[in-house]
Amino acid sequence: MLAKTTKPKRAIKVLSISVLSIALSACLSQEKQDAKVTINKNPYPSSYQVLPKQDTLLTNATILTGTGERLESADILLVDGKVQQLGTDLSAQGAVVIDMQGKWITPGIIDVHSHLGVYPSPKVESHSDGNEMTSPNTSEVWAEHSIWPQDPGFQAARAGGITSLQILPGSANLFGGRGVTLRNVPSHTMQGMKFADAPYGLKMACGENPKRVYGSRKVLPSTRMGNVAGYRSAWIAATEYKRAWAKYESDYSAGKNPEAPKRDLELDTLMGVLDGEILIHNHCYKAEEMAVMIDLSKEFNYHAGTFHHGIEAYKIADLLAENGNCVAMWPDWWGFKMEAYDMVEENVAIVDAVKNSCAVVHSDSATTIQRLNHEAAKVLYRANENGFALKEEDAIKWITHNAAKSLGVSDKVGSLVSGKNADVVVWNTNPFSVYAKAEQVFIDGAKVYDRFDEKYQAKSDFLLGQAQGNK
Amino acid sequence: MKKNNLLISKSLLSMSKRFAIAGALASSTLVSFVQAESLLIMNAEVHTVASQGILSQASVYVEEGKISAVYANGEVPKDIQADSTVDAAGRILTPGFIGTNNILGLVEVGAVSRSRDASDKKADITFDASLAFNPKSTLIPYTRKGGITSNIVMPHGGESLFKGQSFVVNLSGEFDSVIRANDAVIVELGSKRKGSRALTLQKLANALEDAQKAIAKAEKAKDKSKNKEPKRKELPVHALLKGEKLLLAYADRATDILALLKLKEQYQLQIVLVGARDALLVKEEIVAAKVPVMTSAIDNLPNSFDSLHGSLAMVAELEKAGVKVILSPSGESHNINQLRYDAGVAIANGLSNTSALAAVTANVADVFKLNTGRITAGKDANLVLWNNDPFEISTKVDAMWINGKEVSTKSRQDALRDRYTTPSDMPRAYTK
Repeated sequence: MLAKTTKPKRAIKVLSISVLSIALSACLSQEKQDAKVTINKNPYPSSYQVLPKQDTLLTNATILTGTGERLESADILLVDGKVQQLGTDLSAQGAVVIDMQGKWITPGIIDVHSHLGVYPSPKVESHSDGNEMTSPNTSEVWAEHSIWPQDPGFQAARAGGITSLQILPGSANLFGGRGVTLRNVPSHTMQGMKFADAPYGLKMACGENPKRVYGSRKVLPSTRMGNVAGYRSAWIAATEYKRAWAKYESDYSAGKNPEAPKRDLELDTLMGVLDGEILIHNHCYKAEEMAVMIDLSKEFNYHAGTFHHGIEAYKIADLLAENGNCVAMWPDWWGFKMEAYDMVEENVAIVDAVKNSCAVVHSDSATTIQRLNHEAAKVLYRANENGFALKEEDAIKWITHNAAKSLGVSDKVGSLVSGKNADVVVWNTNPFSVYAKAEQVFIDGAKVYDRFDEKYQAKSDFLLGQAQGNK
Repeated sequence: MKKNNLLISKSLLSMSKRFAIAGALASSTLVSFVQAESLLIMNAEVHTVASQGILSQASVYVEEGKISAVYANGEVPKDIQADSTVDAAGRILTPGFIGTNNILGLVEVGAVSRSRDASDKKADITFDASLAFNPKSTLIPYTRKGGITSNIVMPHGGESLFKGQSFVVNLSGEFDSVIRANDAVIVELGSKRKGSRALTLQKLANALEDAQKAIAKAEKAKDKSKNKEPKRKELPVHALLKGEKLLLAYADRATDILALLKLKEQYQLQIVLVGARDALLVKEEIVAAKVPVMTSAIDNLPNSFDSLHGSLAMVAELEKAGVKVILSPSGESHNINQLRYDAGVAIANGLSNTSALAAVTANVADVFKLNTGRITAGKDANLVLWNNDPFEISTKVDAMWINGKEVSTKSRQDALRDRYTTPSDMPRAYTK
């Protein structure tokens, strides 16, 4: 299906009906319409099935809802894959009741920036499928077509409470291609993990990477101004493409038999952004570059989406909130490039402190995705040592609700609210403790991980039958 | 960074000139300590990492940069007149942590080639990267935030079999930071992008065999004055064979580990296994060979076919089996201060608190023969006062000392944060 009718077209319709009705019928009688050309926007649909599930009542826990609330000695009831109720002294017929005295419960953790499956373990050339570094604009590639679902990193992340994650292409290109959001369930196909109805992301990249990769090949961009010229040229082409499709739609609706525009895979994706269906995920470290990217989005009438890494987001926290941008950040990675030199450990907290902000903690790492709770904890405590007064119920948002907002799935996941998907993590202790471990993980009400029950510890095909030692 | 909340108890009898100066500099307690000749840290929970274990209400007396006495249960001799006194108010005092397996001071920005000095294509066993160590790097104060006072820098070398030699530094940030240059010899075994791991092992074995023959020949010679001076490149190998130098050997796959243990036995080498992701497959052999393992607590993924058998529990299981473990930070240069969290993760996965602390202090000191890593009389006064459990994320360093001098944990990051969180009508550039 193509985009909804555009405004100009609607205006023409209203104005012209009476005037053109005769001409139109004449036209119709002469012109036989060919079958309408449409673009299938979901050619690789999700085949995810909820794992065997059981209604479950978890009682007496400290619950962080993901919406800024903290409930003490509280119960949560998961029915039919959804959060049904939170409260005290809950009961439910037919539900398994588990006493979670002393435990903490949070929404399933969401990582908005992962390369699991596209840069999997083991790091072998044969599986290095995360970045199509052959052209500065590869909007036509989709990360989902590279995903190796047997990456053992998915299981390790699940043991850390990760229930949803966005897999992005790498950052060598100005436009790196589409990212995809997955449910972190074991499957031997990508489609079996795919988050149904989650919008696609489009990876863009600012700064050093594109100019280094293409500059070294004497191809535009070799400078930051080359980067921006590259984005603008692409959006101009996308705007033309969108206009061509809109005209085709309007002419066809008017009963004409127009020729459909030639399909262009690259421009399909960019048009999806202009139509508001695909969300921008922009690798961008520096304040001045993020400010330019925001103006770029206004120039071409799309939303600049989420800035990823955003090392210098703290310098423009007001601007980011005002423009409705999420920023996904590390707590403290720095110094590997010039654009990562100005790290401050309170970056996330400074961004978060502004009204209408959307601060997210991401991993971009197969190692730290296993402890995104620790990554958020570092921000929480360093910020509080330096004038902030943040609580656990605030910090959990950075890896749950705000992450879901960034991915456009906050109506489904990221918070423990009645009616939301029952993605739940049970922690042995305060999740912001270094000693915290996820003990049980639920996705859509189905248990997908249990630290104390091997039955719920999945193992990748790759590790099966290797010598002993690995779980 | 806020001023730390140390209490300074001034001498009861007279206020020395030194304290008058410190008092004048109202916002800084540092000055007095920097100049202090003796220091008494009172009323601390002292984790000695020695046979005394954990001492409560303990005091540590420091003179001339060394720990001169440790007193338990509030038993401080009345005649002690320290130049400065710190009341720890029951907080935890540990030895300064010791970083390992990183290139601190040899890089400022990873992708800026002219700020990198850890490798050189032509580097060989004689590569002395300590000459490039930059104590003024912004990474040093940032690393101190993790309670790290000393560090074993391990350069990457070049195309040669040996990657050069490690060196020992303290994190004072002063120009005399390098404590020992040309310390241990570094070798890298394992999978290769081009070629075979076998040849690497053969080259190592051959180098050792050739050196042993040369030494034997020189010793047998009737007229020793006619002996040829060993080549510069040969001297470190000779030192390995004489047990004067450690061999730091990167190896992950069990077969490489076993090959190294065999060489150790054959040539009586002092070896440290670095990485050793397959260690659990050959745990008994490592224990029997009494070889320490330097590894990360969180590197659990099967990153290559050399490392299919790692797990978060590996460190704990090795330690339980009797292996001396050195915990290396997961960050290679810029995030070395994560070491204490890595130790925390190791504890969460089965390592005892005591062993975790030893793995970042005393074990490193023992293996590298450093006069630090414990709080006992005679050791260098490298000390860290924590506001709580050193491994917890919520904990911070309240104060730290290197050779008895207080050092700050304030870094460039703090200056940037303060600039952008201080209200001002002027552009930020005016906030300094």
